[in-house]
Amino acid sequence: MKAERGKFFFGGVHPHDMKSLSSGKPTERMPIPDRVEISTSQSLGKPAVPIVEVGVEVKCGQLIARADGPISSDVFASISGTVEAIRDGFGANGAPEKFIVIKGNGKEETDFLPPITDPSPDQIRDRIREAGIVGLGGAGFPTAVKVSPRSPVDTLILNGAECEPYLTCDHRLMLENPEEILRGAEYLARALGVRTVIIGIEKNKPDCIAVFEKYDRLKTVALKKKYPMGGEKQLIYVTTGRKVGIGKLPADSGVVVENVATAYAVCQAVEKGVPLIERVLTVTGKAVKEPKNLWVRVGTSIQSIIEFCGGEAEKPVKAVQGGPMTGLALASYDAFTHKTTSGLLLMTKEEASADEPTPCLNCGKCSDVCPMRLMPMNTAFYANAGDFEAAAKYGGTLACIECGACEYICPAKRPLIQAIRRTKAELRKKK
Amino acid sequence: MDNSIIVSTPPHVKSKRTTRGIMLDVVIALLPCAICGIVYFGWRAAVLEITCVLSCVCTEFVYYFIANGGFAKKCSNAGAVCRKWLKQFDFTSVVTGLILALIISSETQWYEALIGGIFAIAIVKMLFGGTGKNLVNPAAAARIFLLLSFSTTMSRYVAPVFGPILSGGEVFTGVSVLGGLLKNPAYPQFSQPTVMIDNLNLFLGTGVAGCIGETCKLAIIIGFIYLCVRKVIKWWQPVLFLAIFGFTSVIALGFLFPAYTFDINLFLPSILSGGAMFAAVFMFTDYVTSPKCVWGQLVYYVVGAILFAVMRVLTRIEVASYIILIMNLIVPLIDKYVLRKPFGYVKEKKIKEGK
Repeated sequence: MKAERGKFFFGGVHPHDMKSLSSGKPTERMPIPDRVEISTSQSLGKPAVPIVEVGVEVKCGQLIARADGPISSDVFASISGTVEAIRDGFGANGAPEKFIVIKGNGKEETDFLPPITDPSPDQIRDRIREAGIVGLGGAGFPTAVKVSPRSPVDTLILNGAECEPYLTCDHRLMLENPEEILRGAEYLARALGVRTVIIGIEKNKPDCIAVFEKYDRLKTVALKKKYPMGGEKQLIYVTTGRKVGIGKLPADSGVVVENVATAYAVCQAVEKGVPLIERVLTVTGKAVKEPKNLWVRVGTSIQSIIEFCGGEAEKPVKAVQGGPMTGLALASYDAFTHKTTSGLLLMTKEEASADEPTPCLNCGKCSDVCPMRLMPMNTAFYANAGDFEAAAKYGGTLACIECGACEYICPAKRPLIQAIRRTKAELRKKK
Repeated sequence: MDNSIIVSTPPHVKSKRTTRGIMLDVVIALLPCAICGIVYFGWRAAVLEITCVLSCVCTEFVYYFIANGGFAKKCSNAGAVCRKWLKQFDFTSVVTGLILALIISSETQWYEALIGGIFAIAIVKMLFGGTGKNLVNPAAAARIFLLLSFSTTMSRYVAPVFGPILSGGEVFTGVSVLGGLLKNPAYPQFSQPTVMIDNLNLFLGTGVAGCIGETCKLAIIIGFIYLCVRKVIKWWQPVLFLAIFGFTSVIALGFLFPAYTFDINLFLPSILSGGAMFAAVFMFTDYVTSPKCVWGQLVYYVVGAILFAVMRVLTRIEVASYIILIMNLIVPLIDKYVLRKPFGYVKEKKIKEGK
């Protein structure tokens, strides 16, 4: 089907996308690491509870930690070997996490789920939960919850926008595995009971649009290149024209959004029984010698990934896990990939911004680019003064999607996202 | 692994635009007006422009130097304070100085301009907390201060060196800014025009006495286009302001002088005379003293334009600075009550009905 043109949404910024660093590189499979440290916090909810003990032999794909609560997800061994330790550590965001350390035995023993042919909706839902699939776009919301919506749904949207600068993992995946993504989307659609499947792709990936245009089973929408086009609410609006209310879920508007990588993982889980143990990760930035798109097992150390990509080309100023607009800055390479890690960026001084903030000019640019039409300068002003209720009232903070467009555009380089997050945290504390 | 890696909240990339860059753009946009002023009014204009800019920048430096303890530690600290000042210097004082020079008459004495610059920066800007914290436009406040202090020189306007083109005739002398408007054929009630001033002369400022930078509208429009291209201001702001200002002037004049009721020919002379256009492009659009959100800006420009037009017709003097001052003081109120509705916002009433 010929690609349609997406609608226009209010606000947004146009950062230099820098995708050419890695967009031409086909995905490579990184050699299986001889040691992984798998965090039990792999989703938005509570951490999973380890069910293996130190010294136990595990096979690749074996369940090692069970989900605790509905928004939690199961965790699987990504290599075969021995559980060496279960230790406490810190995640990339500085929060305490529990890590299960597995020392590989060099064998390729697998313990996957049985494949299903022609699955029923219930079977698909169960399989998505059993395979521990979470949204691979970055937030890590369990897909099992999304496919059992509270309100009736009529449309499934595949998010292929990849509006984050630098990242090319979805781009490569869409180019190399369109069939799998499509089949995964069809399983998701069957589980949801919807007929309409839409894929939204930004126009800076014309090759991907051309690939998906060939299929009649889904509608392709070519989106204007703009950040944050891949934001859930923005994507729903530009592809279907529906608005999602504040504090509401997309399902309330009859839509479910899934990342293309999630659809791929669903396909693998249903057809091959493979739980979520690996994903595509973009290693890029000007401080990396050879930018690459890699298939990486969950729990691989960042240090080994950088070494695999030829090491540092020059001393980076910032190491970011995820994309440059929403990713987490790492304090050291002594960190491990998660299910949701979509990128690894080593940024040089000229790329990464480390300017000192100057006084707010009241220029209103942050408000002009806000895709949620909020007023970040008010949030920052009142949050600095310690009045968090006023910050939420005058800044509309609670509707913020933390896309970072405001801070990107700010000529005074004010730390707006920091103020917004602080406001949200303080208000949560009060409740 | 050393600790040279910076940890901070996202986003990790930021636009190249800085406050300094934006203010430099404003300075560049003001240059056509400044150059035109020198060409039209001669060396006196150049002296005033340099005096104003220097006095603003020096005042800012001295204030910063004292406030940051430059004198406290027997000058051992002085070099560090100077470097710190240079690092944070963002051209806002240059903009203030240049605007102040462009909105005073070329007959102003250099020491009056010097005092105006000191007043603008020290009292109006720095005392309130420096860049981004001033309540009112420093240049507008300083102009009013000078007008009240040195009313003789400040209200004496001389005609530029170029006479009216096309229509020929003698050059106005001693005509005030508004004189340009009042001596216009459109307003015969006010005075017996000795020379007919047409729109083209008003546009180019030839033969029209006025302030240094406000006279040549062509230079202002060049600056306006530059600011729009560089995305410093939004194009609709001055356009909306001038459109509403022009129509309100037409209506207000129509009410006052029944003979010319609602004559649309008064539209162009209204916006082309006096400081209306300069104020619309460079002074109302000042970031610090205008509302933050789009709807607030809309209210600000509409109310400002109507007030400006009505007051100008009623008082028969150039009131741009006063209106800017009044509107600046209303801005906090606008900011408090005019907020944007977030994307996907539903009225509370509707939610209740839905339940």
